[in-house]
Amino acid sequence: MGKDVFEVTINCIKLIVVFLMMVQAVPILVWLERRGSAFIQNRFGPNRVGPLGLVQLLADAVKFLFKEEFFPENGTKFLYYAAPVVALVPATLAYCAIPLGHPLQYGEYLFRLQGFDVNVGIVYVLGVSGLAAYAILLAGFGSGNKYSLLGALRASAQIISYELALGLSIVGIILLYGTFNLNEMVAMQQGPLSFSFRGHEILVSWLPNWGIFYQPLGFVLFFASIFAESNRLPFDLAEGEAELVAGFHVEYGGFKMLLFFIGEYGHMMVGSGLLATFYMGGYGIPYITNQALWQTFMDWTQDGQLAHILVSAATFAMFSFKLALCLWFFVQVRWTLPRFRYDQLMDLGWKTMLPWALFNVIATALFIFVAHG
Amino acid sequence: MISDAILFWILAFLSLSAGLTVVMIANPIYSALALVMTMVSVAGLFVTLGAYFLAGVQLIVYAGAVMVLFVMVLMLFDLKNEVYAFTQGLLTNVVKLGCLGLLAGLLAGTLVLSSYQSQEIQDKVVAAADQTKALGQLLFTQYLFGFEVLGILLLIVAIGAVALSRSRGGTHHV
Amino acid sequence: MPQLIPATINSGLPLAGVLFLATFVLLFGSFLLFLASKLGTRKYDPVKYQSYECGIPAQEKKDTKISVKFYLTAILFIVFDIEIIFMYPWARTFKEFIDSGNGLYILASMGFFLFVFIFGLFWEVKSKALEWD
Repeated sequence: MGKDVFEVTINCIKLIVVFLMMVQAVPILVWLERRGSAFIQNRFGPNRVGPLGLVQLLADAVKFLFKEEFFPENGTKFLYYAAPVVALVPATLAYCAIPLGHPLQYGEYLFRLQGFDVNVGIVYVLGVSGLAAYAILLAGFGSGNKYSLLGALRASAQIISYELALGLSIVGIILLYGTFNLNEMVAMQQGPLSFSFRGHEILVSWLPNWGIFYQPLGFVLFFASIFAESNRLPFDLAEGEAELVAGFHVEYGGFKMLLFFIGEYGHMMVGSGLLATFYMGGYGIPYITNQALWQTFMDWTQDGQLAHILVSAATFAMFSFKLALCLWFFVQVRWTLPRFRYDQLMDLGWKTMLPWALFNVIATALFIFVAHG
Repeated sequence: MISDAILFWILAFLSLSAGLTVVMIANPIYSALALVMTMVSVAGLFVTLGAYFLAGVQLIVYAGAVMVLFVMVLMLFDLKNEVYAFTQGLLTNVVKLGCLGLLAGLLAGTLVLSSYQSQEIQDKVVAAADQTKALGQLLFTQYLFGFEVLGILLLIVAIGAVALSRSRGGTHHV
Repeated sequence: MPQLIPATINSGLPLAGVLFLATFVLLFGSFLLFLASKLGTRKYDPVKYQSYECGIPAQEKKDTKISVKFYLTAILFIVFDIEIIFMYPWARTFKEFIDSGNGLYILASMGFFLFVFIFGLFWEVKSKALEWD
């Protein structure tokens, strides 16, 4: 009984820790975004508060807390206040299903470096993050403002349009790995690039065994889709400032606005985490299998338990590095590409990405059929 | 297991109370949002049965797609007159009584059937890990015809939607 | 040599964890909003609480006319989404069908489905249902 209680407690604490990790990553990301933008535009950015301006966001958070409470008189009170809280849930639930590092065996206990292991991982993540449209619609309607409503409408139409290309590029991934489980996918991407083609074993020792080399087209489609899903430039039509001011959150300010921000950055992190898991080996270290990594640490420390801990720490650091790389790309793209027009956005989603994603599925299926047959 | 039972009761309470809210509340927006809640908790109930893939599909299709459309449409129209028209009058009362009768019949039928069929169904539940695989294998062997027909049905739905959106003379601007 | 633990132990979907986390996040968000509402200053000014507009009073009418394209997009999304969902179990069992020697069968059965899908997509494009202006 003691063991059960211990495990339940550990799991609850772990879930909260993963959630807080996601929340505390937001100030860092905002700082990265502002400093990065400044760097790209040849400015300084926030550099006064603390070293490199790192404490700026703490100051901002305190400022947000002390802002005046505001409720637009035409709004619907319950929906208006529910929307920012609801915006947090889908991103958190999805992020907790992404494996962040190799599971840690300590004595008789097995600690997973992820919120919870879901055996239908992809389907779960897709299903949960599909609920993100409600926060936007609630905010748009609850504000009782036409700009909000129009922004919400555009945002949700955009999100659902790109969900098709996203879902189809994932079909290619499922074909490739033959599983829904994110942990199994990571396990399949260990070591150097090797696969069997009609009975011949092919080994390319100078490339890691990552999904991106099997699914280059799927990678591009998935990457573009997560930009659209998280409403980032060049797909930030929902808040096209010239026509809609700030889109669905025009009536929000202070901490409510910050909660929307956390949700949006959470979606970016979920997208980047999935990208790393599907196409870049997840928490795996390139070229090396986890078993070989453990052996290296074992030879070095002569302590099996310590080697386990080191493997988990190294894989966690690797995953964080990949995640940071993807997130930096979000910032880089923001200042590289201009915004689309709405018809261009819809054309890109329905007439370009959807057919290419279909082609990707057919090509992958045919290749696997030929390679296995 | 006791924890499974607790989860089931929580989810059953959630889905039933949300379902009741759907029919009891007059504001169509809240009604639609309660329906979303029902869909989500039914997905949770699927999980307690070990049907993980089905739960995911329930979330993606019903909660993530169908209900988004419903909520979107309801938010854009002021339905005061329609609400008034459908809550008053003789016809509405007759419909209400009919629905009550159907509900009573459904409840009675479920109670009678569940008392001696549940064990049989329990035995048929596949081991959780293989369920999605078993689903795929059944879908593409035994139910292949239904699957292909479904593809055509969905095509017809898409064509019908486009055709409806073309028809002029409604209240919308084209 | 002691084995590194297997990468997965199939644990299904930990529903209790999902519910716990969702409740916690909702409480967390509500608590922060509550805190912000208590800490913030409050100075009443009727103009401040009006809907955001460009300097003129907002119109009261809620019945906004919206292009039917949005509904059409949503309906077409539902249709295609269901078709894509049906590809998931197919993709999941594809290799097993090939290994059991039924590769051509599974390829053909999805081939027809995909043909209908692509036909539908091309029809939508050709009928200009996806044109935005």
